[in-house]
Amino acid sequence: MPFNQKLQKFNAKINTVTIGSGDKTVTIGGDSTFPFYTFDAPSENTPKIGVEISDMGLENVVSEGIKAYYEGASTIGEMAKKAAAMEGADFVALILEGGDPNGVNKSVDELIAVVKEVADAIDAPLVVEGCKNVEKDAELLPKVAEALQGRNVLILSEKEENYKAIGAAAGLAYDQIVGAESAVDINLAKQLNVVTTQLGVNPQKIVMNIGSAAAGYGYEYVVSTMDRIKGAALSQNDNMLQMPIITPVSAETWGVKEATASEADMPEWGPEEERGIDMEVMTAAADLAAGSDAVILRHPEAVAAVSRLIKALA
Amino acid sequence: MAKFVTIGERLSTTAPAVNKAFTERDPEPIIKRAKQQLDAGATYLDVNIGPAENDGEELMKWAVQLLQSEFDNVPLALDTTNMKAIEAGISVYNRAKGKPIVNSADAGDRIANIDLAAANDAIVIALCSSGMVAADNDERMMHCQNMLERGMMLGMDPSDLWFDPLFLVVKGMQDKQMEVLEAIKMFSDMGLNSTGGLSNNSNGMPKHIRPIMDSALVAMAMMNGLTSAIVNPNDLRLMETIKSCDVFKGNTLYADSYLEI
Repeated sequence: MPFNQKLQKFNAKINTVTIGSGDKTVTIGGDSTFPFYTFDAPSENTPKIGVEISDMGLENVVSEGIKAYYEGASTIGEMAKKAAAMEGADFVALILEGGDPNGVNKSVDELIAVVKEVADAIDAPLVVEGCKNVEKDAELLPKVAEALQGRNVLILSEKEENYKAIGAAAGLAYDQIVGAESAVDINLAKQLNVVTTQLGVNPQKIVMNIGSAAAGYGYEYVVSTMDRIKGAALSQNDNMLQMPIITPVSAETWGVKEATASEADMPEWGPEEERGIDMEVMTAAADLAAGSDAVILRHPEAVAAVSRLIKALA
Repeated sequence: MAKFVTIGERLSTTAPAVNKAFTERDPEPIIKRAKQQLDAGATYLDVNIGPAENDGEELMKWAVQLLQSEFDNVPLALDTTNMKAIEAGISVYNRAKGKPIVNSADAGDRIANIDLAAANDAIVIALCSSGMVAADNDERMMHCQNMLERGMMLGMDPSDLWFDPLFLVVKGMQDKQMEVLEAIKMFSDMGLNSTGGLSNNSNGMPKHIRPIMDSALVAMAMMNGLTSAIVNPNDLRLMETIKSCDVFKGNTLYADSYLEI
């Protein structure tokens, strides 16, 4: 009997969201198939990779490879240029970790100056990540959205506790793209999209960060959550889950012992630099296979490897 | 599983205001009632123009075009005994949001509506009766089989025949209620879609009782696999029950605001 391929067709698709302005934009989403199921239908937009830099420069970076890549960059603007030029990079992600009140606690003004310097240095599509503290982000991210008017940046992110302040500023007042962040909780992921659209934000200007973990650290919950989101978005045509997914990877993977334990302490594990890259690549590959439309990475070798993977599969 | 499909029943010539609006081709009352139903969460709208023996074709075309242009190609159930009017409606119908529903065929005089649906790639509501209410489930399922076979012989996808067990009024036919629910279970076990005029059960009851009876019955019917119903979507209790049952059945993903979407 001849093989008859039966295509899995959905009358639904993931929203298409374009980040950036002018000639340099990046578009994510748009597929009506499960991730990399190109045998069902060609992918409208292949997954994209962002390169993450921090307002703290290289201060908290442990990887020698990352340090070497940015050698010679003395300002955050120069770092941003190098990040944008990285082989395989589609956009730049600036994380404002120095704003954390439990850390360096930089002022909002200080951070806005960093944001402006980065935005002026590059014309690549830009994602700005807050400091993760919900009160500080509620104050900081609306100011970021205001400072970058016209750049159509993705603001990461609003959470359940501060979606009104951030969603309204980014999505309504300053016409940026709103990142909606939940912590590996599928019901909350949907709820945030509902309440954000109830604020009046255009669903086509929302991107989800449904949370992540490093591979091996409760990661199966991340996979099942992404899987079920894509399933409901496509098979149930749930338009409150059809927002594309972006996943910051590196902040998780460069903090686990597999990446940080030195070779001197763990000789049987081999060089820590390689382990760090491997953790980044493995986690990103799994995120993409589970449904992320974009990942945010740091190490040039990880970016190159994941970029090759996407080209080979999509 | 797909979400439960609600077919809004409030555009019907049995309502004097609607009858007058259809007769006079007055768009305002039609649009108003359609909007109320869609805002309340109706998926399909039923367009019941009555027998419409004289001007049915022209009237159905007018109604289809009016509703679909006003509400982004809202999917419709075309409800009349005038077959030519249904065909005329389908001829101007836009399928972007879903196939048209032919309302309805039965296993008796109106069996030709299955042929009409097959010829026009439409969904058809297939009433499991022939003139009289089926005496028991053996008879219901015989009608179901006959109509299913007829549709499939004509090339229809079985999922496009939505079987209607015929909901019966509690006041007078209380002893038949479980039988109707069992018929739904049998449709569901065969993998078939089902629908029906659910509120028939509460006919003749006080107004404040009807939403309670309708909600209880829809929950029991959904448990047994009912996939759709022709209802008043502006009955808040009923719609809340349907949305909640959709959550329990896994037809839709829960979120705290699930009743608002």
